[in-house]
Amino acid sequence: MRARVVLLVLLGAAAAVLLLWALLGPTSRVPQSGPEPAPLPTPTPAPKRQAVLLYPGSDGLLHPEIVPLSLPDEQENRVRVLVSRLLQPSPAGRPPVAPYPAMLTDVFVREGKIAYVDFTAPENPLAGCGNEVPFVYAVVDTILLNCPDLRAVQLLFGDREVETLTGHLDLSGPLPLNKRLIAPS
Amino acid sequence: MRYARFIIVILALSLVASVLLAGQVHVRWGGRSVQVPRTADGRLELLPVLHLLGADAGFSHSAGTWGVVLGDHQVQFTPGSRWVLMDGELKKLDEAPVSTPSGVAASERFLEQAILEPFGFHLEHEPGGLRIAEGAAYLSPILVVPVAADFGSTTTVVLTLGRKERVEVEDRDGAVVVHFPEAEPQLDESRRVASARITSIGVHGRDLVIRLSEGAGLLGSHVLDDPPRVSLDLGPKARPAPASASPPQLRATVHPIVLDPGHGGGDTGARSPSGLEEKTLVLAIARRVARILRGRGFPTRLTREGDTGRALADRTAFANRLEARVFVSLHANASRFSSARGAETYYMSLKDEATDEHAAATARLENASGERSGGHDGLDLILWQMAQAEVLNESSRLALAIQRRLNGLEGVPDRGVKQAPFVVLTGATMPAVLVEVGFLSNPTEARRLATAEYQEQLATAIADGIVAFLKHQ
Repeated sequence: MRARVVLLVLLGAAAAVLLLWALLGPTSRVPQSGPEPAPLPTPTPAPKRQAVLLYPGSDGLLHPEIVPLSLPDEQENRVRVLVSRLLQPSPAGRPPVAPYPAMLTDVFVREGKIAYVDFTAPENPLAGCGNEVPFVYAVVDTILLNCPDLRAVQLLFGDREVETLTGHLDLSGPLPLNKRLIAPS
Repeated sequence: MRYARFIIVILALSLVASVLLAGQVHVRWGGRSVQVPRTADGRLELLPVLHLLGADAGFSHSAGTWGVVLGDHQVQFTPGSRWVLMDGELKKLDEAPVSTPSGVAASERFLEQAILEPFGFHLEHEPGGLRIAEGAAYLSPILVVPVAADFGSTTTVVLTLGRKERVEVEDRDGAVVVHFPEAEPQLDESRRVASARITSIGVHGRDLVIRLSEGAGLLGSHVLDDPPRVSLDLGPKARPAPASASPPQLRATVHPIVLDPGHGGGDTGARSPSGLEEKTLVLAIARRVARILRGRGFPTRLTREGDTGRALADRTAFANRLEARVFVSLHANASRFSSARGAETYYMSLKDEATDEHAAATARLENASGERSGGHDGLDLILWQMAQAEVLNESSRLALAIQRRLNGLEGVPDRGVKQAPFVVLTGATMPAVLVEVGFLSNPTEARRLATAEYQEQLATAIADGIVAFLKHQ
């Protein structure tokens, strides 16, 4: 009889402990002391490097400007940084490379060699070789000068491959570096 | 339990095999077959297929092209370029091949267009892969309903197609040929076509041939939708230029100079602040250049005689068909820099022109392919080099000759000779340049360009440049 009472008391105590644990939940548990968790790695900003950016001038040539830029090692991000900068006025005051208010919509690299750069399409038809050639090659040459692993660049407009922008340049495929359009320094 | 273990082993082996073969396709020809690797974007490695066919394939670093020989046929192509030389004939295909670490890869379409069809094969899909079959591929028939109407000096022919289909229109001597690359035309015989300029319409294989009356020729063609149709403009064939009263300084040949007034029709090109349109200005200058050249004994043709549009590729094709001595495309410029002014001349650069890095890569490929095929010095692709390198050299000389004369005009700043891949110069088999005579976006220069006097000066400078080039050719 006495043993049964002791058993009942023990069972009751165990039930009370369980009830308390269930009510207070795991948050109230005292954290166990131990080693401090390692801090999460914070992203390291890409190092600033001297990038060569090419901006068209009124002579139709591409004028190099040295600009310190945070250039990531990863190709697509590097191309994105370069082209985004080209769509802004140059440090020397030259206008953005695009002859219309273009926005960069996508960048992707195939086989580690060919970069595809997608811009918003112009709302109104563009005219003039003097608008098309400097714009296209400012983008192509800037990318290829700053991304030595890339071999060619194809420009897309409105997520589409186009034969030409103003009826002059053949844009249906990737373009290699064209140093002949870069102004002599 | 033993069976369950056996089934698990079989499943695991199947999984491994499917992973290993995921990037490959089984290609069969005759009694033999190969596993052909596919690139990530679905292209097929071409060399295993060529070896399966028994073709001799090699890469020429000097020309930057691949050459394939099978029997009496030769095909040459360049990675990154849609231009292919098939038995000496330059053709632009729908897609370009690409270089790969193990050789060259291309789409099934390219394989069929560039390799199989010239050699008398076609590609068929079969369960588990592809089969190379001899003979031409099955072509689905397409109904063509012809209608023609004479309008005084011109005739319009409309060919309504049973469905949308790719066509190529060619102006052959005395006939217009509408070629269906992927279909077999069937003429609606119930329609009688009555026109003074048409003698007959018939079908020969994939060609619909419209035979023309004496003196009639093709003025232009358009492919239209809703409903799918081909519209052909016929009219009097351009007459040869009358003989010059004074003996020409140089002996004129039968091959003409082709001038291409840029834009036309709905494509106005650039426009000056006062409303002068590029298409009008360059046509006026082209007519003046043509008059001067004809006066000096050089037959000269224009890609358009009036305010009509013409596809860019068709302009060069026109010059190729006439075996023109030179091709000069005339344009007027525009820039967002309103101060920009002056003339500049462009000639072609290849889109796949070798950069230093590319040259190194192709050299590696050449060495690799030489090891594979035992080299192929006989395939140094003389024709291809003529079509590319030599024509480019000649084009640069022509560009320089014209630009020098333009620089000699008073008040024209020299913007120089430049090089870029222009659509209208692509595929030209003769020296070809594009001349930008001045900037319509510059108000001062636009006013000058609008005057007959300045147009005549420009035309004389361009004609002088062409003649100087021909004299030293």
